[in-house]
Amino acid sequence: MELSDSELVKQCQAGEMSAFEELVSRYHQKVYMVSLGLLRNRDDAMEVAQEAFFRAYRKINSFQGGSSFYTWIYRIAVNICIDTQRRQRRNPLDFRESMDSVMEAQDEVAKDPFADVHDRELREKLTKAINELTPEHKAVIVLRTIEGMSYKDIGQILGCSEGTVMSRLHYARKKLQDKLRVFL
Amino acid sequence: MTNCEIIRESIGSWLDGELSPGESDSVRAHVAGCGACDEVRRQLEKLQMVLKDELAGEAARIEFMPFWREVQQRINQKRPWHQELRDWCRDFFTAPRIAWSVPAVIALVLALFSLDSYVPGWRFGGARNNFAAVDSIDAYGRSVALLRENESKTTVIWLYQDQEGENEAAEDATKSGPAF
Repeated sequence: MELSDSELVKQCQAGEMSAFEELVSRYHQKVYMVSLGLLRNRDDAMEVAQEAFFRAYRKINSFQGGSSFYTWIYRIAVNICIDTQRRQRRNPLDFRESMDSVMEAQDEVAKDPFADVHDRELREKLTKAINELTPEHKAVIVLRTIEGMSYKDIGQILGCSEGTVMSRLHYARKKLQDKLRVFL
Repeated sequence: MTNCEIIRESIGSWLDGELSPGESDSVRAHVAGCGACDEVRRQLEKLQMVLKDELAGEAARIEFMPFWREVQQRINQKRPWHQELRDWCRDFFTAPRIAWSVPAVIALVLALFSLDSYVPGWRFGGARNNFAAVDSIDAYGRSVALLRENESKTTVIWLYQDQEGENEAAEDATKSGPAF
């Protein structure tokens, strides 16, 4: 029988490393997706995802279970992403946009050449438009898109109210829609 | 604001399933009968789909074992003291603690500048001149400006966010959004 997240957390708090390994296996792809959505760079996203699990392991004893493990690990990852983005903004020379390579890799498996050109253009514009959003706006879009998370969960992760989540989502979607209107 | 504009403000929340049943019914009925609003719905759904497909395709390539080995290596590795210190500082100064520090700093500064009203002969910083200072409070672009005009004994404390935040706030303020 599969153990719940909270049971695994308890085992982990008792020093059971295999329980933590199970938690990592459940969430590593999703945490990576969130990081990639926010940072738009594979290497940075991988670094953030691994660092998030490392920090979660170090603080697992302070995890009280007030929220679910997945909102907690996402919160850690999003905070690291936001810090990383702010650092990149302060040092623009360090900022690397390697989503081009992501798009190229996806184009390799595309079938229809006409749809291919249109989709590629759309993804290019999407990447550019997302990069122009603030970290907070990127975060709400990515968390809602990837996990279909409720506004309440997103609010818990970002430390803001549901109203703020709704407002940020509306603003971010409107921005993206305005910039991508001709491609949608 | 036209009915369509009001409905469009809510289409995203409706698609997210975050509206009340009554609000949902009203948005659904409008969208079903309005081509322009239905087009907005279609665009939002496509936007969501493109973004999700793009990220999900990438994440599916991440294998667990190499990922886990890297995490394990970090866990077993002893970090240098400066990194440990940085981690500690980050934990200590992150929200919500920093949120409490903002009113605390304001209260402290106000108290210092008001002392001469209560303690005869007290002069904060000696013979005081007009004073102006701006300082950053946190990593989210919030800053505090302090202005003191000595003659009228006027102190102004101004808490504000950077330009980016202001633009967003201004844009949000122009819209009468759905119940927020």
